[in-house]
Amino acid sequence: MPPHFQPAAANAAPPRRQPVFALVGNPNCGKSTLFNALTGLKQKVANYPGVTVEKKTGIAYSQHGQPMTVIDLPGTYSLAARSPDEAVTRDVLLGRRADTPVPDRILCVVDATNLERNLYLVHQILDLGRPVIIVLNMMDLAAQAGLRLRVGRLEQELGVPVIPCEAIHGKGLVELRLAMSRPDLPLSRHAWDVPTAIAPAVSELQASLTAHDGKPPLVARAEALLLLTDSDEMRVAGSAPLHARTAEILSHWKKRWAADGTDWAGTLVGSRYDAIARLCSGLAERGATPVRASASDRIDAVVTHPVWGWLTLGAITAALFLSIFTLAQYPMDWIDHAMSALGSWVTTAMPPGDLRDLITDGAIAGVGGVVIFLPQILILFFFIGLLEDTGYMARAAFIMDRLMSRVGLNGKSFIPLLSSYACAIPGIMATRTIEDPKDRLVTILVAPFMSCSARLPVYLLLIPALLPNAVMPIPTKVALMVLMYALGTGGAFFFAWLFKRTLLKGEPPVMIMELPPYRRPRLKDVALHMAQRAGLFLKRAGTVILGLSVILWFLTAYPKAHDGASPQEQRAQSFAGRAGHALEPVIKPLGFDWQIGIGLIGSFAARELFNSTMGVVFAVEQTGNDDTDRDSLRTSITKARWPDGRPLFTPLVCLNLMIFYVFALQCMSTIAVVKRETNSWRWPLFQLAYQTGTAWLVCFIVYQTGRALGF
Amino acid sequence: MPLTDLPVGATGRVCALEGGADFCQRLREMGFCESAVIEKISGQHTLLCQLCGTRVALNDRAARHIVVELIPGGT
Repeated sequence: MPPHFQPAAANAAPPRRQPVFALVGNPNCGKSTLFNALTGLKQKVANYPGVTVEKKTGIAYSQHGQPMTVIDLPGTYSLAARSPDEAVTRDVLLGRRADTPVPDRILCVVDATNLERNLYLVHQILDLGRPVIIVLNMMDLAAQAGLRLRVGRLEQELGVPVIPCEAIHGKGLVELRLAMSRPDLPLSRHAWDVPTAIAPAVSELQASLTAHDGKPPLVARAEALLLLTDSDEMRVAGSAPLHARTAEILSHWKKRWAADGTDWAGTLVGSRYDAIARLCSGLAERGATPVRASASDRIDAVVTHPVWGWLTLGAITAALFLSIFTLAQYPMDWIDHAMSALGSWVTTAMPPGDLRDLITDGAIAGVGGVVIFLPQILILFFFIGLLEDTGYMARAAFIMDRLMSRVGLNGKSFIPLLSSYACAIPGIMATRTIEDPKDRLVTILVAPFMSCSARLPVYLLLIPALLPNAVMPIPTKVALMVLMYALGTGGAFFFAWLFKRTLLKGEPPVMIMELPPYRRPRLKDVALHMAQRAGLFLKRAGTVILGLSVILWFLTAYPKAHDGASPQEQRAQSFAGRAGHALEPVIKPLGFDWQIGIGLIGSFAARELFNSTMGVVFAVEQTGNDDTDRDSLRTSITKARWPDGRPLFTPLVCLNLMIFYVFALQCMSTIAVVKRETNSWRWPLFQLAYQTGTAWLVCFIVYQTGRALGF
Repeated sequence: MPLTDLPVGATGRVCALEGGADFCQRLREMGFCESAVIEKISGQHTLLCQLCGTRVALNDRAARHIVVELIPGGT
């Protein structure tokens, strides 16, 4: 009996556990909205081990209250994966990942306005031999566009349930839940003919995949077809590689066809399109007068306009930054006060000693210094969520494409760079939608130049210190701040240009991007997105940052100096002080002494730790009042002197320190994320070296020029 | 003519896709299959097109590989 006639294992085995549904579909088909509607708050966001692709799972309940696991897989146009995101979708569906259960059933979300294109993925999925439910989403938009779909006919042709739905309005969800609860979902009866020239290769590969890679026969057949379309090059960590025997069969057939001139991939893809075309004929009826110039088109006329488009983008970006810097201030002050109050309470409640210092100076100050950015991160993600939900983000990428192409990148690199203004970590994670691996790497390498929110406290401390004896006018402060952001952005563009011409030379990128229709944002979805981000951020603050702060405290507190030593003597004597002294020869040409060196080393864990380290180094008394604290820190740093009596923090040195922070990669979390993303230590270490090198060089030039000019 | 040369506001039908097999495959997956009807909305460097009810942005490097014929009188 040929292997594909065996019953599929997934159907034969009785359900042992709660059924696992995979949610798949094209990008912008409303998949995430449907996922949120099905699972509500019962969601879990994690990463697939080894790759920075988000794994979203949730629990939905059947009409009878039975729990069902739903995995939201990244959107893709086909199983022929071109980005890590799409590779994860393919690998989960093919059962190549040990970290994710093979889905028992597949929910295929289809954009009803664009049936023909969406059916390509559906067609590949039906090959997998698992029960499939097709969700025809956005029926309202299809109706608006004058499209009438024959749902019954599609259901009849494919032999699987087809549920019309408007996920955004919650319509069709009951029917969908009912279908999901059915114990006996049928397998698709849709059949298409694999071209005769290729059929023997398909069955041979299928047999090998079943025997050596342990795949159920129908999955093996789908995988064999995929291997033969020659679009299976994209590999991600954590997915099982092909068995040697299977790879051998594949290369044998490819050689054979190459020799006799058979275009196997083209033939296979072509016959699939023929099958889809036959399927589609007579499915949709277009109304006589499709509505022209919809609201979406009218908005696009303005938003993608060569002039108005730029103004819109500028206004939105301005609003984003203004909110980050002004609105966030109030909650940030509250957090700051709460942390200070907690610190003072511990100080009064505990007897003096190392344990008390560890809790106040190490844990509370360290974690507090990071948690304070929560409001800014929430605001950023509110904006990003809003822009993505409305569909504007793709327009921004469209507008930026021209500019980005000047440095050899395309518009898709804009979104990661924009996110990096808040934090390079989500920025780097957002690069996963960039298809070209070289473009993705370039974007990752330059993203940390964008001034993130962790640099903000450093700028805020140092800008007023530039003019110690005078009150700096607000416009000067703003101009300096803008200068720092511009420097970072300029650096990012320069290095992107440089890398695309040297290290990561590649074809100028090709960009094809779908612009989803505008939608009214669902605040619930945006809030959910923000809550997830906040959760991840707080988790990091509670684990990594807490650990690092404690280590940092230890390094400044030990080994103990002799009894009665002043705090300054203690710092000089500590491990951190020794490291600072060791570093001094390297940073002296930049105008920095060993004490600043401690700050630089300390803030390597996280940039914002610079302020707390400086507070520790210059032994500022904590008063519990933030304004006084920051002022007193500023006063004490202006009093700092070199051993020969020259002031340490001259305006030039303050400026130079800020420039150092603009360019240097002072962030362990970024290094960790880049390591995970590029799957090697090579790129993060290169990034650390080139960014720190740039920082040193620029600071050296600025300081030496400044000194020569008499500053 | 390549899609880049199609006048703004005009409608064309895709005749052929050029370039690597992988690239053509991606174009097809996005809906740029042979005989698809495209309306060019705007743009010179980065084009904005309407294709089977969806808006698609593509840069000139992608667009020059899509050969279209002008549909006279198409809006």
